[in-house]
Amino acid sequence: MTDLSNKTGGTGWNSDHFRKNLARRKRSEKRFQRIGLGAILTALTLLAILMFSIFSKGYTAFIQTSISLDVTFNEAIIDKDGTRDPEALRHANYTKLVQESLRARFPDVEGRSNLRALFGLLSNDASDTLRDMVMANPELIGQTLSVELLAGDDVDMLNKGYIDRDLAEDNRRVKDKELVWIDSLKEEGQIVTHFNSGFFTNGDSREPEKAGIAGAMVGSFYTLLITMLLSFPIGVMTAIYLEEFAPRNKFNDLIEVNINNLAAVPSIVFGLLGLAIFLNVAHLPRSAPLVGGLTLALMTLPTIIIASRAAIRAVPDSIRQAALGLGASKQQAAFHHVLPLSMPGILTGTIIGLAQALGETAPLLMIGMVAFIADIPGGINDPATVMPVQIFLWADSPERAFVEKTSGAIMVLLAFLVLMNALAVFLRKKFERRW
Amino acid sequence: MQMQAETNLMSDADMAEEIVIETQDVNVFYGDNHALRGVSLDIPKHQVMALIGPSGCGKSTYLRCLNRMNDTVEGCRVVGKILLDGIDIYGPQVDEVLLRARVGMVFQKPNPFPKSIYDNVAYGPRIHGLAANKDELDEIVLSSLEKAGLLKEVQDRLHSSGTGLSGGQQQRLCIARALAVRPEIILMDEPCSALDPIATAKVEELIDELKENYTIIIVTHSMQQAARVSQRTAFFHLGEIVETGPTEQIFTSPIDERTQGYITGRFG
Ligand SMILES: Nc1ncnc2c1ncn2[C@@H]1O[C@H](COP(=O)(O)OP(=O)(O)OP(=O)(O)O)[C@@H](O)[C@H]1O
Ligand SMILES: [Mg+2]
Repeated sequence: MTDLSNKTGGTGWNSDHFRKNLARRKRSEKRFQRIGLGAILTALTLLAILMFSIFSKGYTAFIQTSISLDVTFNEAIIDKDGTRDPEALRHANYTKLVQESLRARFPDVEGRSNLRALFGLLSNDASDTLRDMVMANPELIGQTLSVELLAGDDVDMLNKGYIDRDLAEDNRRVKDKELVWIDSLKEEGQIVTHFNSGFFTNGDSREPEKAGIAGAMVGSFYTLLITMLLSFPIGVMTAIYLEEFAPRNKFNDLIEVNINNLAAVPSIVFGLLGLAIFLNVAHLPRSAPLVGGLTLALMTLPTIIIASRAAIRAVPDSIRQAALGLGASKQQAAFHHVLPLSMPGILTGTIIGLAQALGETAPLLMIGMVAFIADIPGGINDPATVMPVQIFLWADSPERAFVEKTSGAIMVLLAFLVLMNALAVFLRKKFERRW
Repeated sequence: MQMQAETNLMSDADMAEEIVIETQDVNVFYGDNHALRGVSLDIPKHQVMALIGPSGCGKSTYLRCLNRMNDTVEGCRVVGKILLDGIDIYGPQVDEVLLRARVGMVFQKPNPFPKSIYDNVAYGPRIHGLAANKDELDEIVLSSLEKAGLLKEVQDRLHSSGTGLSGGQQQRLCIARALAVRPEIILMDEPCSALDPIATAKVEELIDELKENYTIIIVTHSMQQAARVSQRTAFFHLGEIVETGPTEQIFTSPIDERTQGYITGRFG
């Protein structure tokens, strides 16, 4: 007390010294809060800019332009013998049917190059659409119907406003004559836009208007399934063993250090490992979700182990002692009490690890999951690609129409990531309530 | 072994009680730390034995030897003989898991499982297979809660969480949980140190009733508590037993001056 009064001139806690000191501390606290707030705002702004650029470019990926045309299902073209044999119907020349319809709509167009340009208004998917219609209902033969056919990507781009009409013709993908046809179609209300369901049901394609992410989604699903089935049980068991059973010794310390180091290893190294072991030694199929899943499991394991160990360590020792004191074995204490109590943390760690794996590209490039694959994979051994790799492939494609596909695929991937994180939060909440 | 226990009993003329636990020259090491030094102590059946002594003198360590909880402590080594009904509990024919069912333990801090009250008590019987069916299990749970004097308070919320009880109730729940595995001996490590006087009184009352059927060893820092609940007291100091005898004698006419100093509050 004497000390205090000496320093402050005897006026105690009300003195100038303390008031100044207090003011300084308050200022410092305010400053710190402002810096923190500023940091958060900066991060949010950057995130908003990123999101805006993706969404503004990507939302049109979910819309598709079609051209509505009167199609005459000419028997002479489809089934000139009149047998209605399904094989004959399948192999008929539907492209000619499409071309006839376009010529009927624009009778003035003459000359090879002009005609080719005219036929280019429609996607070459249009003939498949007609085939499917006829195969499903042969009654159509002989009738004339108004059918919506997929537009080519140039028409689609123009319709979505990505092609500048004022550009010089030489620099424009859609030439003047095509503009005339398109405007004429538009006037008649024959250009229609729909929700692009094909984006979610088609595999990859060289034609942007037909390309979808279903193949990549299924590929990602199988790959993550393998990853999860392997890394979750192995990771959790490893964590339990290390935390609850392993004696403290040099060997186990070494294991611990190595696991922590593995978590920091660049993912491409795991890809090289996968290439060397799963492909070159084990001779598993290339480009397959099986190998991708195995490789990503290697990458995810350290994350799951570290998160699980932290969650297990957070369970108070008194719980273990209570169980052991009742005559539970170590294993019973671990599995009846410690594991359920640490489950929320383990699940959070696992889902974050899997979300990381879902967004991973580099290791998959090493094991050949980067090939162009048009088919939707039917199993874990089929060639497949995954969503981030699909994004990478599309981002690399020259066609203007793939830009929106890229952003669209990113949006779908982000949606899955948000879903997974929401699931993590949900599971954590659900398990916590049982405590 | 049995013979030896018998003869010990005879030689100790003034106490006609049966001895359940006999500790002979027990030494405990935590790594290099010699925590218990040559402790020998006989614990009579169906009585309350109080262990007192200054902090860090090894009371908890001694208690944990009796149900081999020290086995779970990394780097802990126990040397010496501890006989339960004449059988060395550190011997090869004794399984520590079964031993802990016979020698129950109540901890300093109430530590109910984060499960329902019912599941807390039912856990022990379940893992040991003590109940053949649901009715028997119900019976065990209810009678254990009854014995622990908690049944009336929790009767209508058996399936709500055990962690939602008050501290004193939680501690009695832990006692009920220990009773449910039908132990012969109950070890209590400062069971009331986290409780208020009213909850403490309830637990003490309970201890008094339990000694009819159980042997109880209780560690306490409260001289009054030791005096109230125990029949015999052992005074620990720096890892050794300084003095042991009937509680009354220890508190009224201690032989060793260290004991005297401690119970009169001159050190500790
Ligand atoms: N888990 C452990 N690891 C290492 N040393 C320990 C451990 N537990 C106890 N010790 C040591 O053993 C000695 C006795 O400790 P113990 O816990 O038995 O004392 P205590 O009499 O119960 O004390 P308190 O009254 O404070 O609970 C102390 O020196 C302590 O440091
Ligand atoms: Mg203690």
